[in-house]
Amino acid sequence: MSDRSQLISTGKPFQYDKERDAEFERLIKRYPTRESMILPSLWLIQEQEGWISQEAIAYVADRIGTFASKVYEAVTFYTMYQLHPMGRNHLCVCRTLSCWLRGKQEIVDYLKNELGISPGQISEDGRFSLEEVECLGHCGTAPVVQVNGEFHENMDVAKLKALLAKLQ
Amino acid sequence: MADTIKLFVNGVEVEVETGKNLIDAIGAVGIEIPHLCYHPALGADGNCRMCLVGIEDGRPPLVPACKTPAQAGMKVLLDAAHIKKIQRDVMELELINHPTDCPICDQAGECKLQDYYMTYGRPESRMTVPQVQKSKKLDFGCGVVHDQERCVTCGRCVRFCREITKTGELGIINRTDDARVNIFPGRPINNRYALNVVDLCPVGAMTSKDFRFKQRVWFLKKAPGICHGCAKGCNITIEHNREKYQDDIIYRFRPRLNRQVNGYFMCDAGRLSYRQENEGRLLAARLGSQIRPLEDVLAACTREIEQAGKIAILLSPNCSLEQMVAVKALAAKLQASLSGFSTGYIKEGDGDGLLIEDDKAANRAGLALLGIDCSRESFEKAVRDAQLLINFNNDLTRTYSDSELKKLLKDTKVIIAATHDDRLSAMADIAIPVATSSEYAGSLINCHNILQTFAGAVSRNHKPANIGEIAAKLGSPLQSRAEQFAELRKYLSVLKDFEADTVPAEGLKLNESEAANVTA
Repeated sequence: MSDRSQLISTGKPFQYDKERDAEFERLIKRYPTRESMILPSLWLIQEQEGWISQEAIAYVADRIGTFASKVYEAVTFYTMYQLHPMGRNHLCVCRTLSCWLRGKQEIVDYLKNELGISPGQISEDGRFSLEEVECLGHCGTAPVVQVNGEFHENMDVAKLKALLAKLQ
Repeated sequence: MADTIKLFVNGVEVEVETGKNLIDAIGAVGIEIPHLCYHPALGADGNCRMCLVGIEDGRPPLVPACKTPAQAGMKVLLDAAHIKKIQRDVMELELINHPTDCPICDQAGECKLQDYYMTYGRPESRMTVPQVQKSKKLDFGCGVVHDQERCVTCGRCVRFCREITKTGELGIINRTDDARVNIFPGRPINNRYALNVVDLCPVGAMTSKDFRFKQRVWFLKKAPGICHGCAKGCNITIEHNREKYQDDIIYRFRPRLNRQVNGYFMCDAGRLSYRQENEGRLLAARLGSQIRPLEDVLAACTREIEQAGKIAILLSPNCSLEQMVAVKALAAKLQASLSGFSTGYIKEGDGDGLLIEDDKAANRAGLALLGIDCSRESFEKAVRDAQLLINFNNDLTRTYSDSELKKLLKDTKVIIAATHDDRLSAMADIAIPVATSSEYAGSLINCHNILQTFAGAVSRNHKPANIGEIAAKLGSPLQSRAEQFAELRKYLSVLKDFEADTVPAEGLKLNESEAANVTA
């Protein structure tokens, strides 16, 4: 684990766009308490902005009507919430057992070499960010790479090369 | 005592109260189960695992005592080898990342981690990797300073802010060994009970900006007292020390458990009111602007009293019942008018229904009990008619502006028995230093009609007299506290079975008829 307590401030107030605003209102009816909306509303921010800023956390806390400290707890607990800006294309390589045995290291090494970044970093042009993650649940088709939320299974270097070329 | 049940601890039968968890039930009969996260006011959380005990009835080998209700016939194991091992192991885990900075830590001497380390196995560290580094000296606001490295993440402070004050400023950020208590950036602690988290913190993670580094806790003498900050009358511990060649100084007030009055907590304003006991005190008797021995000044007072045609006497609503009866008897003897006028002590809308009351006077109910007039009209009329006003520490500057006060008192000589050297005592013709509430013994009636007694805790170098003694020296027939207390019994039949020093520690709840007696 690492310290995720340093939030980044954008210096301007956060707001959901129209679509996410409607989604928030749709979802909140599902739950018995408003606090249940903490995790979904954080996903909505990440979907919209790609990452979650200090202002965005304060915004959802106030909108839900809970303590900002509670949202702060949740957002730092779950590592899939990104607390700093990511590349336009976010690559997650699974590093848990099956993927590891089936060659995730080759994929990571290739990406490191090709993009010039280590896991946890963003390429200089902002096109890619790379992360090693825990089990993505697709062990049967290991190794798995998740690109912008989409699964790419049975990956190898050749397939990855073709994939990267398509990503802007 | 409530209903009791019998259960076994380490094979020995003990009788405990029902409806409590094992920590409280067994703790009440003097058997300690170590615990960090559990606090009776905050409930069981079960996160620290320090209170694991064995129950011999087929349950899992270890259960948290904080979450286990005491039941009849239960066989609780505390001293078995596997329980001792788990306590030692939990201690070892707690100490993995804990800095060993006890010599410079403010909590040293009242730290649960220190105590438990010494009691439960003294594990040696087996760590060969560097400790996790976190932030230190974080200013959380409201005078709370936090050291994340010392924290054991028991979450007491977090639960206090969420459950008691309902302001929720604190949270536990991150997870695993990076977990730490923090505020959300830009939203510091902002409530009127914040410093309770310093008391709640079992270790040195939360310290008080006001108290830290002032005094090692083992030098502090502790004496019970009652906070005079408002009509609630929270029970406190007065912690004071006289350093060599110095005066007896109060270093802090801390709340003292009284379920009937304040529970475990007190407000920050009351807690910091100890400063007024130390600072700005009137240290010597004054005749005009000259400092004179108390005897000379009292003799001058007696001359003034003899010369004055009409006398008005004013009492502070903070005076103890004993002081009030003594002054009342003095007023009767001098045929003086007596008032307790003090509307300036009431801050309308300041109370919060928790522990803070609108009325910043500790004993207004006492004035009512003794039938002392508190109206503005009669006080002002009495002052205008009188040639002499004897003011027993009523802070008139709370009620009047300086110009109003000068106008009101322009034809009246003023004798003041004052605790503080302030604008008011400077205005008086004669000023006599008197003791504050930490320096004398007395009793009070709080806003819920609970009579509480307190004893003097601190003895100052300038030896201020009690208002009761001053009243006696000016001619009150009630010469001692015993006589004053005997007089009190005439007003409160409930006191017939008690002496001043035998009133129960939790106070006496006055019943309706006695409360009704009050205005009669």
